[in-house]
Amino acid sequence: MVKVSLDAAKDYYAILSLSEIAAADEIKEAYRFLVRRHHPDTGHGDVAAFRLVQEAYEVLSNPALRRAYDHQRISRGLAPDAPITCEVTMSRENLPATQIKQMLYALIDVRPNAGLSKHHQPLNLGLVIDCSTSMRGQRIRNVKIAVRDLVNSLQEGDQLALIAFNDRAKVLAPSTPVRNKRLLNSAIAQLVPGGGTEIYQGLVAGLNEVRRNASSRYLNHLILLTDGRTYGDEELSLAEARKLEEEGIGLSALGIGVDWNDLFLDALAQAGNGVSEYIRTPAQLQELLQRRIRGLSSVLLRRAFLRVKHAPYVTIQTAYRLEPYMEQLRVNSDSLIPLGDLEDKITTLLLEMTVDQPEVGTHRLARLEIEAASDEAPANAAIQIRQDMEVNFVVPERALNVEIPMRIISLLSRVSIFRLQEQAWRDLEHGDVSHATQLLKSAATRLFDLGYHELAQVAMLEVDRVLLAGSPSSEGRKKLRYGTRSLTI
Amino acid sequence: MNDENQKVGNGGIICPSCGNRNLLGTLFCVECGTYLPSGGPLRTEPLPGKDGAEHSRHDTRLDDDARQNAFSIEIEILKSHRKVTFPAEAEILFGRLDAAHGVFPEVDLTVEGGLESGVSRRHARIYAQQGAFHLEDLDSTNSTFHNDERLTPYVPSELHDGDILMLGSMKIRIRIYNNNAV
Repeated sequence: MVKVSLDAAKDYYAILSLSEIAAADEIKEAYRFLVRRHHPDTGHGDVAAFRLVQEAYEVLSNPALRRAYDHQRISRGLAPDAPITCEVTMSRENLPATQIKQMLYALIDVRPNAGLSKHHQPLNLGLVIDCSTSMRGQRIRNVKIAVRDLVNSLQEGDQLALIAFNDRAKVLAPSTPVRNKRLLNSAIAQLVPGGGTEIYQGLVAGLNEVRRNASSRYLNHLILLTDGRTYGDEELSLAEARKLEEEGIGLSALGIGVDWNDLFLDALAQAGNGVSEYIRTPAQLQELLQRRIRGLSSVLLRRAFLRVKHAPYVTIQTAYRLEPYMEQLRVNSDSLIPLGDLEDKITTLLLEMTVDQPEVGTHRLARLEIEAASDEAPANAAIQIRQDMEVNFVVPERALNVEIPMRIISLLSRVSIFRLQEQAWRDLEHGDVSHATQLLKSAATRLFDLGYHELAQVAMLEVDRVLLAGSPSSEGRKKLRYGTRSLTI
Repeated sequence: MNDENQKVGNGGIICPSCGNRNLLGTLFCVECGTYLPSGGPLRTEPLPGKDGAEHSRHDTRLDDDARQNAFSIEIEILKSHRKVTFPAEAEILFGRLDAAHGVFPEVDLTVEGGLESGVSRRHARIYAQQGAFHLEDLDSTNSTFHNDERLTPYVPSELHDGDILMLGSMKIRIRIYNNNAV
């Protein structure tokens, strides 16, 4: 056991004249400067100050001790709470120094500080409901129950608009305060199925209602609920969704049953920085809708993004978000990764990078910067934190004994399955049946290995279906996609 | 043992299962999802045995689940002789159940008189990392002692078979089982 002299009552950052987000090299620099100034041998040195600087440096320069110190400071209310904490776990700390390109994985745990929001941020919601013929019966009955439940659980100050659509859209309740229960309840009663499914119509009408009250005071969000396929207006809908980030509006999509287009709804929700959900039975709707509202209500930071300022020999291959489900994130050309809204919980990201670097020594691969807007902060004042990603490059022979953190292995095994089956669907779209079935078989094998027998069987069934009919079943694909994407939870 | 098959020129890793060439350092074959724990100069060691120092080179193909299942930890509360066993992948929170504050510890010490013994609601936690169990005090009021040594809050301390913990004045014995041990 290591003996630690660590005193949370002392402000080590102040001793070194640093801020709480100081990077490792800044700490080293400050230490060198102060040590020279206070060193007893210089004649005008100050032994007490010198010891304090030593102690501060010993704690802050050791990542484990620094984390412990920060935790203690925060839990004792001694630190000005960091707005976001960010912890990085690398798949390897020691890499062989070589010119050969190698893979490296990093898990990034991002957590906004719960103290950020002292009050409930009001919601400005739009609910766009598919009222095509197929919604008749149990589905529309459950929708009504779920929406009524929603109206009752929203809080004073929240806004809600209700839009029905089939071939065209109809605003049943314009954006109105939820206390206006009579209007909303009569709108719910007007949900009568009949006609086709044109999502774009509903989307535009819904967005117009949300835009009416959209401001930074509210959390603005549109929820689309559909059970069918839209034809010909997918691109228009996606273009509309892509505009929303700038407007500060989010978009989530819920699909009921098996006939809707999961790839399209996922793309829509991703473009709109929202979530997509697969509702197998109408009875689940109420719970999923409530969960979405709880999620929105717990948003602490908005429009967050991660910027990876990396060394020239580092290339970001892919970025995934692992919660609430696996989703590949867009990496913009300047290594900017939009994260959307951050809820009051840990958001785990996975970065896959390639590295080739032949020089031995400790290197900073990247500096991570997370930026976000908070309703507490004055307008335009973004919250920002930094975190360094460092590894040691060693001579290849010394990189033999590598232990990979179990958490990375466990999460990556699941990401790898998700990726296999996603690639299979893409291959199928391009007509490559043999590769697609190969990938699905591999996914099934890996699912069996990990003990997910039910999902493995779904995958095997789809292999048979693809081989026989050339395409998967609508239900099987959804089960597999939404099942595997949730394996990291 | 199979290292020769997996080592290839240019430092890539040939997947033993499908023959696909993966970049050095790849953990799961991009073509078939097979775990590639060894290969090239980047070999993963099997989990160390009880003595920890000895790194045997065989059996590197253990799947991660198999690796995790190979270890389990038993917690015995000495006051009541209650024993609870957890698999390695579990994170074990010690404390006292408090539903109102959302505290649901895996090991709830309320029945053993946790309150009188000075156990905090969120007292300490145990988690496995890199093949070893670690104990961390969660800045509890009356501290956690690991073999009579007071832990600095949030500084993890590695656990070994037979260790005695004290949460406040509540004594707990740790047994660690390696199911793969020969």
